Amino acid sequence: MIALLLVLTLQTTKVPDAAQFVGAPQSTPLQGSQLDTRTIEIAGQLRCPVCQGLSVGDSPSAMAMNMKEQVRELLARGYTREQILAYFEQSYGEFVLLKPKFRGVDSLVWLLPLIALAIGGALVVMKMRKLERPVATTPSDAGDEYVNRVRQLVEKE
Amino acid sequence: MTATLGNFLILAALLVATAGSMVGFAAGCSGTPEGLKWAQRFAYAFAALMALATIVMEAALLSHDFSVKYVSQVGSRAVPAWVTFVSLWSSLEGSILFWGFILGLYIAGTTWVNRNQHVDYMPYAIGVWLGCAAFFSFLIAGPANPFGSVSPVPLDGPGPNPLLQNHFLMIIHPPFLYLGYVGMTIPFGFASAALLRGRLGLGFLRPLRASLLLPWIFLTVAIMLGGWWAYEVLGWGGYWALDPVENATLLPWLTATAALHSAIVMERRGVLKGWTVTLVQASFLLTILGTFMTRSGVFNSVHSFTQSSIGPTILVFLAVAILFSVITLAMRIESLEAEGKLESAVSREGTFLINNLLFVLLTFTVLIGTVFPLIVEAVNGRQMSVGRPYFDAMVVPIGTALLFLLGVGPALPWGRPRRDEVKRALLFPLIGGIVLAGIGRALGVTNVWTLITLLFGGYAAWVTMAEMWLPLVQRMRRGDSFGTALVQGQLRRGRRRFGSYVVHAGMVVVIIAIAVSSTMRTSHEARLSRGQSAKIGSYDVTFIGAETLAEPHRQSTVAHFRVMSNGKFIANLAPRMNQYQMMREPIGTPDVHSTLTGDLYLSIMNVDVGTQNAGVLMITTPMVAWIWISVILMGLGGLVALISRP
Repeated sequence: MIALLLVLTLQTTKVPDAAQFVGAPQSTPLQGSQLDTRTIEIAGQLRCPVCQGLSVGDSPSAMAMNMKEQVRELLARGYTREQILAYFEQSYGEFVLLKPKFRGVDSLVWLLPLIALAIGGALVVMKMRKLERPVATTPSDAGDEYVNRVRQLVEKE
Repeated sequence: MTATLGNFLILAALLVATAGSMVGFAAGCSGTPEGLKWAQRFAYAFAALMALATIVMEAALLSHDFSVKYVSQVGSRAVPAWVTFVSLWSSLEGSILFWGFILGLYIAGTTWVNRNQHVDYMPYAIGVWLGCAAFFSFLIAGPANPFGSVSPVPLDGPGPNPLLQNHFLMIIHPPFLYLGYVGMTIPFGFASAALLRGRLGLGFLRPLRASLLLPWIFLTVAIMLGGWWAYEVLGWGGYWALDPVENATLLPWLTATAALHSAIVMERRGVLKGWTVTLVQASFLLTILGTFMTRSGVFNSVHSFTQSSIGPTILVFLAVAILFSVITLAMRIESLEAEGKLESAVSREGTFLINNLLFVLLTFTVLIGTVFPLIVEAVNGRQMSVGRPYFDAMVVPIGTALLFLLGVGPALPWGRPRRDEVKRALLFPLIGGIVLAGIGRALGVTNVWTLITLLFGGYAAWVTMAEMWLPLVQRMRRGDSFGTALVQGQLRRGRRRFGSYVVHAGMVVVIIAIAVSSTMRTSHEARLSRGQSAKIGSYDVTFIGAETLAEPHRQSTVAHFRVMSNGKFIANLAPRMNQYQMMREPIGTPDVHSTLTGDLYLSIMNVDVGTQNAGVLMITTPMVAWIWISVILMGLGGLVALISRP
């Protein structure tokens, strides 16, 4: 009887193989508006495999709709965001993740802009220092006594 | 016959451009006035030949001369005449010819405007422009030749890409984009001329800036038109997907914007000359990179229909252009450098430096995010994606910082401001920020980034308005009447200043509208049979029925909906699916009820006319219309600044 029930649930579910890929759900099942917001959020992290660069959340294609339903069901069963992303990564490959992970070579895509910010920031500070420093030039009117007198007065101020 | 004439004109253009380019450089080195005269003649001749070739192609298209290869590819007797006319830019070969036509207009126009001025820069500039012109003539003559002949002559053709026929925005978006992209060649020529000459005098700043501002205006509007088109056609309710090709249009816009700002510091203080020239050259190189990204088909994108085999040729040109830029910069950047200095970092000049840092950082980040998957795949064959969540995480903070500067920068005085001056200038506008963020909070904004955007946006709006109308206020304080003050202060004397602040105001609204529309949208999918309703927000959407319409060039399935709100009639919306003969997949055309507060967007996912059932995607998005309006405002502000006197 229990076995029959199990078979029935397995057949009605859209994601029958979730347990064998990412194990048991590690969070509490979601429902209602919380389920809707989380579904949209996680669907936005997944690439629609048949579209041209759209996320599963944005794409109106049948495949994306189906994947969105899968996300919803996994959330309703209590899977975490990490588990769901891992499930889709194992089914479709790394290609499906729109946000690259911070690992191996891929961490460069996160690090390079930060390095650029550090270098650029340093350059701007150096440039400002250089430009703020008074330009050391000998005035062409150095010999003029009247001008020298004015200059002394101004510098005393 | 037509094909032969076209080919002759293109080969003549190639010859004229090559010769003119050499004459230009030679005249620059020798400095003879006669050499400049000849370079100018070659520039005019190139433009004339390109214009003639384009007229020949248009004539062939409109007369359905299917013996011409391009006409046999995109022509059709079934499509309306206006579609045939715009088919010139519906496919690769024609659009490259169109590119050459626009390049000719730009070169001849700029040469004419400056025919008696800047005589020591102009020969080099013409040399560089005609060098680029020679490359594009070569492209038209060889790899992307539209004037091939077809035999036997077909009786009819397939017609242009259905996407072009499907929406009017697809007709005006490409010309604006070309006017922006191609126009960047002109400031590139000027910047290179300054480097080759080893001098950049203040008098030369005006043509340099004007030549940058004009394509900047076109590019700004083109980017918006592209987003608007995506919104009206692609059916997912968004306007920007950070698709590689979309990013390609954004990259030169970012560096050009940075250059327009650093040019102001250059004008005021005589510093940042080498840097400005570098940014101008980078803007041009990024347009060529963008062309490569669009045309080579290396990216998986909505625009990949434009891909072709000319990728490698463009890559070679890009390499040559980069080499030329790096060499000229390395040789001469020192000789342009500082004549002046900054007085204080806490001043408007100081914020310009940070502005430039952020714009370049943004360019770099978008570029890295766009090409990174390509590099990874090329190096170790692994497929990975860099998409919207990445760009959201990286671009939103930088954009927010730029919005902050948009407020703080113009508030700070020039030169070396006193402490209390700084304090007063920075404190007052906070009222604007707090009020706007408060309004947003009251209307239900909960996203932290959106609230920060409203705070900084309100601040920037306050500063922008105060600065924009300052000349008017000052004149009225001195006793001028409102009318005199308006004409003299805003439209006569301070046009450039006024125009710039109009652009700033538009930018503030665009950023707020993007933040609000992307974080506050709601969507709902429903399956309806005839007479059933679904609810989204305050709207009740009723499915009235579906029908099929036949036109000569397409078949459409239209679903009719009636929209009510609190018992009051709002609109009838009719999203449709258009099936074109030459396309397997139908193209959806959503229908939008647009108001200033927000849009209701209906897109059909599937529809069955027999059983009268429809699956509909309903989306409400606040403030989207403000994006289109404000960008048009930015374009107008740019035009006001462009026609100003020095």
